[in-house]
Amino acid sequence: MVFILGVNFPERNLVKKALQSFFGIGNDTSARLLARFHIHPTCKVGELANKQVLDLTAALSDMKIENDLRRQILEDIKRLKETGTIRGRRHALGLPVRGQRTRTQIKTAIKLNRIERRL
Amino acid sequence: MVSPLCWGCLTLLRQAPRTILPSPTAVSQAAAFHTSAAIYARVPAPRGRDSAVGYRRSTSANIKKKRKVSERARPPPVGERKALRKRIVLSNPNALEVEGMPELSEETMVDSRLRGTVVGLPVPMLDQLRAVQAFKPKQGWSIFRRPGTVLRRETLEMGRLFENISGEGEDRGVVIKRIISGQRKSGKSVHLLQAMAMGFIKKWVVFTVPEAGELVSATNSYAPLSDENPHLYVQNEATAALLSRTAAANKAVLSKLRVSQHHPTLSAAKPGMTLEDLAKIGVQDPASAWTVFQALWLELTSTSAVPGLEKNFTPRPPILVTVDGLAHWMTHSKYRSAQFEPIHAHDLVFVRHFLSLLKPGQDKPTLPNGGALLYATSTTTNPPSVYSFDVALKQVAARHAGVDPSSPEFPQPEAYSKTDPRVFEALSSPKPTAAKEGMLEHQVLGGVTRDEARGFLEYFARSGLLRETINDELVGEKWTLAGGGVIGELERLGRRVRVAA
Repeated sequence: MVFILGVNFPERNLVKKALQSFFGIGNDTSARLLARFHIHPTCKVGELANKQVLDLTAALSDMKIENDLRRQILEDIKRLKETGTIRGRRHALGLPVRGQRTRTQIKTAIKLNRIERRL
Repeated sequence: MVSPLCWGCLTLLRQAPRTILPSPTAVSQAAAFHTSAAIYARVPAPRGRDSAVGYRRSTSANIKKKRKVSERARPPPVGERKALRKRIVLSNPNALEVEGMPELSEETMVDSRLRGTVVGLPVPMLDQLRAVQAFKPKQGWSIFRRPGTVLRRETLEMGRLFENISGEGEDRGVVIKRIISGQRKSGKSVHLLQAMAMGFIKKWVVFTVPEAGELVSATNSYAPLSDENPHLYVQNEATAALLSRTAAANKAVLSKLRVSQHHPTLSAAKPGMTLEDLAKIGVQDPASAWTVFQALWLELTSTSAVPGLEKNFTPRPPILVTVDGLAHWMTHSKYRSAQFEPIHAHDLVFVRHFLSLLKPGQDKPTLPNGGALLYATSTTTNPPSVYSFDVALKQVAARHAGVDPSSPEFPQPEAYSKTDPRVFEALSSPKPTAAKEGMLEHQVLGGVTRDEARGFLEYFARSGLLRETINDELVGEKWTLAGGGVIGELERLGRRVRVAA
């Protein structure tokens, strides 16, 4: 088991998948992180050198991920609402934000768009 | 037609049925169409969620497939599937033993009378060949009693070259450099295997790269070589694997040679230790594998000892280097630099080292003790199609044929085509200055001749696989069906079981 940014990962997991388990890190960001520390894409967590684990943790702690990113997204929505923009109002109404039609196919918007958005 | 009711009576008509039809409560008491009591009738099921037609739901039949309840077997343990995939079976106890089958040896590898016969690989050598991964899983070794290869024209020619390089004549210590290509199943990998077998017979040191693609597919660890060379990358684990292969296969030769050069970068290399032990340092500690490999290469290419270490020096044997799947090395690798740019395969020091051997040496040959570089392209490992490489191979052939690079006959890439200058640079090997160094050649393996095909098919018949009389007609048929004697296709035709009608 290896700790990366305080999370414990089994050794048989891929490093790339382990990174992608953090909110805010997807395919591209994880690939770039791996390249930055010269870790090959098929590397398992158990194969990481100690220094690479520390480097990864240091890099991750500098990034805006997980709860910081969630908070920022919620704040952005709130700011839109408070400034009275159309996007903010549409969020509050639970309607599509980016000019989609609302006659049909807005289930996703109904489900997700709200001020206190679930992330 | 006149209605029996006048319009004025329509109001009457509307009321009349109400009086005629029994009330709903009366229905339950008086059964209209059957005699059983209505109270025993089945209570209609409440309209559940399934039957209710929702808003904008389709009303067509909703036939759900029954979910298969399959017992999920536990997956096999880690590595077992790969081991099965890479398993190499070299013997089939059901096949007949071919009597009087010659073995590959110093005599048979140059005996042109044996052309077209299948010679067996010596049994003690099989472990060495396995160690250098000479056998590939998809080759048909598993259908015969013991592994054997056919002596074709190219094999005998190669045998003669090996004999001359190891011999005492004027060709002693010559270096031959070849890029071997050919169509699918034309026997390129087996040609390399034959070269390795001959190398082991002649007691050469054999270095092999059995899968060139594995070095560039980003499945091995990599790291920048040093702070001075941030754009060169070292693959320690792949290098350690190479050292392990080399140490295991060449144990007999390397254990007799001793360290006789200074290695300031490698403190573990003590003067007087055997080269086998030197290689094993790199196997045990992959972090130093590249340094160890360089030290080993320096030792094997030295022609004399440094002052003070003469007592450890014995003349070094020739070296054979084989690489299978060269096209993989002619393009960008799957590795990425720290800036997320693709790393060119030539920036990996492992690849760079073996490609640099194709160039002529500066003041002495690249292999001062002689040897052979045989780099084959591969068609089975899904090689990339690199246009520059195709043109560069034509240029190699032209240069070897003596065409001047400035003449109009010299093959050039098409105008406006996207080419990779590094590929041309790597393969543009001018005429060497050292007398003992051969020029880079391009050898194309084609089909075998009819005589060789006959010998090959006779081997199938004598192994009990082909139950037919081998005559000219059959050989001609099979030779043609095999696309002009392509040996892999011949093998496929030979092993096919025929059922008499």
